[in-house]
Amino acid sequence: MHSRGGSNYGFPNSNKNPNFGKTNYRMDCKGIKKTFFKYILPAYAFIPVLLCPQVSKAQQLFIKINPVFDNRSLVLDDQNYITANGDTVSIETFKFYLSNFILVTEDAERAGEKNSYHLVDAQDSTSFYFAVNNIRPWVYKRLQFDIGVDSLANVSGAMSGALDPIHGMYWAWNTGYINAKLVGHSRPCKTLHHQFDFHIGGYTNPYNSLRKVVLELDDLPISSSGTTVIELNADISQWFKGPQIINLFRTNDIVIPGKSAMMMADNYMDMFSIKKQP
Amino acid sequence: MTKISVVFFSLIFFMAGGACITDTTPLKLVVPEGWPKPVYDFKKNKTTKEGFILGNNLFYDPILSRDSTISCASCHLSFTAFTHADHSLSHGIEGRFGRRNSIALENLAWSPSFMWDGSVKNLEQQAINPITNRLEMDNTMINALNAVNSSPKYRRLFYLAFNDSSIDAKMLLKALAQFTVMLESYNSKYDSVMRKEAGVSFTESEQNGYTLFRQHCNSCHTEPLFTNYSFQNNGLAPDTALNDLGRMIITKNETDRYKFKVPSLRNIEFSAPYFHDGRVNKLKEAVEHYTSGIVETPTLAKELRQKIILSAPEKKDLVAFLKTLSDRAFVYNTGFRNIFSQ
Repeated sequence: MHSRGGSNYGFPNSNKNPNFGKTNYRMDCKGIKKTFFKYILPAYAFIPVLLCPQVSKAQQLFIKINPVFDNRSLVLDDQNYITANGDTVSIETFKFYLSNFILVTEDAERAGEKNSYHLVDAQDSTSFYFAVNNIRPWVYKRLQFDIGVDSLANVSGAMSGALDPIHGMYWAWNTGYINAKLVGHSRPCKTLHHQFDFHIGGYTNPYNSLRKVVLELDDLPISSSGTTVIELNADISQWFKGPQIINLFRTNDIVIPGKSAMMMADNYMDMFSIKKQP
Repeated sequence: MTKISVVFFSLIFFMAGGACITDTTPLKLVVPEGWPKPVYDFKKNKTTKEGFILGNNLFYDPILSRDSTISCASCHLSFTAFTHADHSLSHGIEGRFGRRNSIALENLAWSPSFMWDGSVKNLEQQAINPITNRLEMDNTMINALNAVNSSPKYRRLFYLAFNDSSIDAKMLLKALAQFTVMLESYNSKYDSVMRKEAGVSFTESEQNGYTLFRQHCNSCHTEPLFTNYSFQNNGLAPDTALNDLGRMIITKNETDRYKFKVPSLRNIEFSAPYFHDGRVNKLKEAVEHYTSGIVETPTLAKELRQKIILSAPEKKDLVAFLKTLSDRAFVYNTGFRNIFSQ
């Protein structure tokens, strides 16, 4: 047997540290009882205050997403729409990740979120409305965000919340998140049930399908209290419009990272516009 | 007054915090001398004895498969360095055959990518593959989570390990990683010789094999992990039945056609059959491939473009050396077998 450093059975190695997970503090024994009644017990009254979430000094910023097709609000399944190529389509699934929301001032000062991911799903209207954190009081000129999940989050291990792999926006065979998904039906598709499937993802170069969106704002003042809502349209027609017009007879199935996914990401990166701001 | 209030508020925090945190016992990975730093981020998943036991139970439990028939251990057996003995291709539920040879699980904390094609970049995300692959467990993550959540045993084990008995995908994946990341092998004869342990030395044949190894194999199967984790076309004749393009499936890059991850050679004596599709059963046949079986295609590894010539005794010596990479302390480690928790 050629072993070193202990046993060949049992746990590989166990460093027992008696202080793990505990914090040591000392206190003079004599005064404990007195101190407890005089200070500690009353201090418990503050616990609810302490446990409350920190109230942000800035206004709360909320984003509201309106899924639309051209100027019509999106109705899943039962409504037909016409694409730029003239194809009649109905939409079954429309889902996408938005991340890294940042507001920018005229002087290029920035405020916003890092490592925060929002999954918007046309089937779930509660996903249309979400808060953006870390906004400071200022006057802002520009709103920036990414469509998709950045490469770092793609390789950072198991995630929860919006990035939980149970949301149907995750590829196991080629690890990574689907940045945006559009599934629907159209006669010209010579596929089962005339279905088209666009699952757009990929985070490694040269096929990184993450896309940055920059939207100019009218001066947006954010003060130290109250709530601000920015409403954005997410226009599905843009997926088919271009730069590359999509002919559904020819292009109806993009479900892996690669050139076609890059083309589709270039198409849909223009789908957002400001619908309403204060 | 400020001093006093600092003391009191901290006391309150300790009391409130201390009351709900279950005690866990830290478990630390050994980084043998001369080895590189592990790439796995232990900060995001602190390994504990409780987490290891939990991960071990999950690894051996068919609960994760759709019809509760197979577990991770079905294709990764501890006695064979966590690969599937006698199976060129492993089978999932309902006897569905997979497309590749199950890979040995060892020293995963050092691996920057997983799977033969490197499709997975983080150990925690790896387990999603076998759980959801149609040819393996054919389950959904949601079903698997429902199964473990309705098991009192797992609710208890998760509570002990993560202080939370409501199990989500993140916790499930981190729990499995708690076990797999601890599958360390660093106690082979080779290791003892390198550590200059008293009374251990290579035989003449092994020593000669080691010299040949350094000459012909070490550039890809680099010491001490016996892989450089690159993807290479090692000249296997493309298999027309499977037509497996390897790394190219992931990168879409023609220069990656027929490339597969260089596997570690540690415990190779136990991990037959060999190569990504398990086409070869014996170690000497695997060596034979490199001397007389290389098929030249445009992506062939540059190290193999020049013919490797070995005499029959030299091949024997090389095999003798490869057998010094067998770590019996690893394959017979009872902690790596199923620790049944009730």
